[in-house]
Amino acid sequence: MLLQADHLHFTYDGTRSSAAGSGRTAVVRDVSVDVVPGAITGLLGPNGCGKTSLLKLLAGIVTPQHGRVTLDGVSLADRPRREVARTIAVVPQETHPAFDYTALEMVLMGRHPHLGAFQLEGPDDVAVALEALLATGTAHLADRAYVTLSGGEKQRVVIASALAQQPRILLLDEPTASLDLGFQLEIQALLTALNRDRGVTMVLATHDLNLAASICQRLVLMRGGAVLAQGRTEEVLTPSHIRDLYGVHAEVSLHPAAGHLTVVPVRRA
Amino acid sequence: MKAVHAALDGDSRQSRHTLAARRPLRVRLTLTVTGFGMLALVTCLLAPLVGSTQISLARVFDTSIPFADNVDAQIFFVARLPRVLAGALVGGALASAGVVFQAMLRNPLATPFTLGVSAGSSLGAMLAILFGASASLGPLSPVPLASLAGAILAAASVYWLATRPGRPISTSVLLLAGVTLNSFFSALILFAQFLADYAQVYRAARWLMGDLDVGGLSPLLGALPLVMAAFALFAFLPGALNLLSLGPDAAAARGVDVARTQRIAFVSASLATAAAVSLAGPIGFVGIVVPHLVRLLVGVDHRIVLPASALFGASFLVACDLIARTFIAPVEIPVGVVTAMIGGPFFLWLLVRQG
Amino acid sequence: MAAGTTGMTTRSSRRGPILALTILIAVLVIATTSAQSPRTQRIVSLVPSLTETLFAIGAGSSVVGVGSFDTFPPEVKQLPRVGALLDPDVERILSLKPNLVITYGSQTSLEAQLARANIRTYSYRHGGIAEVFESIKGVGRASGHAADADVLVSRLTSQLNALRARVKGRPRPKALLVVDRQPGSLREIYASGGIGFLHDMLEAAGGDNVFADVKKESVQPTTETLLTRAPQVILEVRAEGLIQPAAVAAERNVWAALAGVPAVRDGRIHFLSGSHLVVPGPRLIQGAEEFARALHPELFVASGGARAQ
Repeated sequence: MLLQADHLHFTYDGTRSSAAGSGRTAVVRDVSVDVVPGAITGLLGPNGCGKTSLLKLLAGIVTPQHGRVTLDGVSLADRPRREVARTIAVVPQETHPAFDYTALEMVLMGRHPHLGAFQLEGPDDVAVALEALLATGTAHLADRAYVTLSGGEKQRVVIASALAQQPRILLLDEPTASLDLGFQLEIQALLTALNRDRGVTMVLATHDLNLAASICQRLVLMRGGAVLAQGRTEEVLTPSHIRDLYGVHAEVSLHPAAGHLTVVPVRRA
Repeated sequence: MKAVHAALDGDSRQSRHTLAARRPLRVRLTLTVTGFGMLALVTCLLAPLVGSTQISLARVFDTSIPFADNVDAQIFFVARLPRVLAGALVGGALASAGVVFQAMLRNPLATPFTLGVSAGSSLGAMLAILFGASASLGPLSPVPLASLAGAILAAASVYWLATRPGRPISTSVLLLAGVTLNSFFSALILFAQFLADYAQVYRAARWLMGDLDVGGLSPLLGALPLVMAAFALFAFLPGALNLLSLGPDAAAARGVDVARTQRIAFVSASLATAAAVSLAGPIGFVGIVVPHLVRLLVGVDHRIVLPASALFGASFLVACDLIARTFIAPVEIPVGVVTAMIGGPFFLWLLVRQG
Repeated sequence: MAAGTTGMTTRSSRRGPILALTILIAVLVIATTSAQSPRTQRIVSLVPSLTETLFAIGAGSSVVGVGSFDTFPPEVKQLPRVGALLDPDVERILSLKPNLVITYGSQTSLEAQLARANIRTYSYRHGGIAEVFESIKGVGRASGHAADADVLVSRLTSQLNALRARVKGRPRPKALLVVDRQPGSLREIYASGGIGFLHDMLEAAGGDNVFADVKKESVQPTTETLLTRAPQVILEVRAEGLIQPAAVAAERNVWAALAGVPAVRDGRIHFLSGSHLVVPGPRLIQGAEEFARALHPELFVASGGARAQ
């Protein structure tokens, strides 16, 4: 399941701009990314660098004005949406349902791409949903209304909903942003386990350098809609790149207890 | 970390048990549809028996009396039954249109009239009254015909304003277009009323209050095909509506063709509303009270809420019309007034309950 | 009101004749200041039936402005329009410099404005035939044609009595008088209730109003009510329109949905057109006679049979 982005160019202006010079700055400019199967790749950069938009492009939720996103060589635009959704799942930063769905109902919505046009979910689908709830530690919240849950619980239910799609590729937008430290670590462990045990490819958009350092094997550094650098974490996450990206002097070192790189910001550049 | 793991183990046992005991969706759907279906059937069978005139059921079905001489039978079959059927049709159409618009606009306070279809319909009726239109089309007499044309014009305008080919519809643009058109058409209605003479203004005001006394089965034949078409389109929606109410990105990520679903939803709900309003005038509150009541009873899964609302909407409006024509008989209260008198306190109660 | 004194001139003085003349003048001045001289009247009328009345009592030449919906007599088409019940144009009315304005009873703010401008108003009161005759007399007095008005009223009264006598003793069919409905359908039917001039006309013409017991001028019957009341004759009355045979036939077909109603079953549905049928003015007896032709066609065979379609 090879997901590739090829010279993507994207703006949100709502009309098709014929050329790059449409008067608006492109949100994503000439971005090419290879999502290595089986790896956890981080999209790292400051706010507004285009990582959320790139994530949406990779999921096929929005269409680029130029370039294309392919899955095993076939453009996403040429595949039916249901089929794409069986392979790629997205965990957005925030989810606001308009009605009081229970956590279980939210997770069962993830089964939609596996159901036929008029098919209702059966016991197998409920089993998958339950397993997803268990995997995220939210099974005890199954019959609670989603809107009554805490930020962390909500995020875990949304992850469960994405897991219910049984995707090969999981795209996450700031997955730990609203979580307490304990649950941050828990989610990190969960994602790492999913990647290791089930081979789920992941792309993680984040501005948290340490999160990226802790679980991502590969990084794509983005600034102003373009790719600054991409490659293995230890090669790409360097003080000079961090200075280019954030305008900050930082120290990057391998932390013996944590077992991965850590970034300590020192002062503004 | 250990505590969370422990919780997970406990989760596992407890939740498997809970979820095993939970009824599958298919069963819940069947039970709900059967339940509300029975309610609708019973309401529609009992309602024609009650009215401002006393009739004897025995006489109604006494085939030995020629129909032309059997006043009881005529009252039952020509006056009351079409009225009850109209109530069921309009109630079901408005309630389900309400559900679809609420999901589409991601707002439980949306009504079938939010996007201007009703205003267009009222303008059409107003103009037909003002100009004394006399053109009919099959079973559609001039005022319902003009009202239907106005509704379709309004819906088409909103559609044109809010959509771009192949792209998802932005709900905020849709809402803005609908509300703008609502205001514009309402202004035109006021202007038309100003130009009209006293009798025409009165007639327009009466039309706006809603009226289910269709006088025979013929007018129903004008609205029926449209409502059936809308319901056929509704069949494609319920699962997608759940996802759509999470937002277009979340829905797309789970495999929903958002642009296509939104278009089907808009067209079908507008068609149902247009048919209902052209037949009986703009009867308010059905499209918002019924979905809310149904959600209180069966939860928020649209696969259950949509069919249940259609059926309960039928019962609700037939019941309201029953009250309207018997409460202070022989005087009739306009049915729109009865639905408002029920709807208003209901929402107050909801508000108090939440607060 | 000083208008009455124009046109009077003073002659040269000689003692005896002067005294006689002075007394004559004084008497005339008194006489004219206590009643309007018709020739100096400027009347604006917002009410169609009273406009008609003014012309019928000889005050037509004094009418300088009419309401938006006035159609009879044809002369009114040349006159300026000043609005009607909902939208009287005060500026227009004032610009015509009237000394009498005939208004609707509910137009109290208009009357107040006119009173501030020292313009007399006569207020129209809606009602049955008795009220119509009263307003003819009232307008006659207000416009200085009291005598003409009295003559008109007695003529109309004797016509009315003649009509009543003609239908006396005949069986009175149950009649439904429809003044409006949605074209092409049986919805929003407006029928005459048990009070008002239409009801009085119907009763005078020898019909029993099916809604005689409803003490309102206008009734909106439901389908059920129509079936229950079961009229034997249906009179559809409009100010204008519904003349073409094709249109009439189409509207007649609409009633077929209520086949059980005696009037529909027996084909006794009559479409009558004309402002004399719906305007409560001097021609209303004429209108009542037309109702009678439809209700009792056998009485009018000699004069050409039922004229109604």
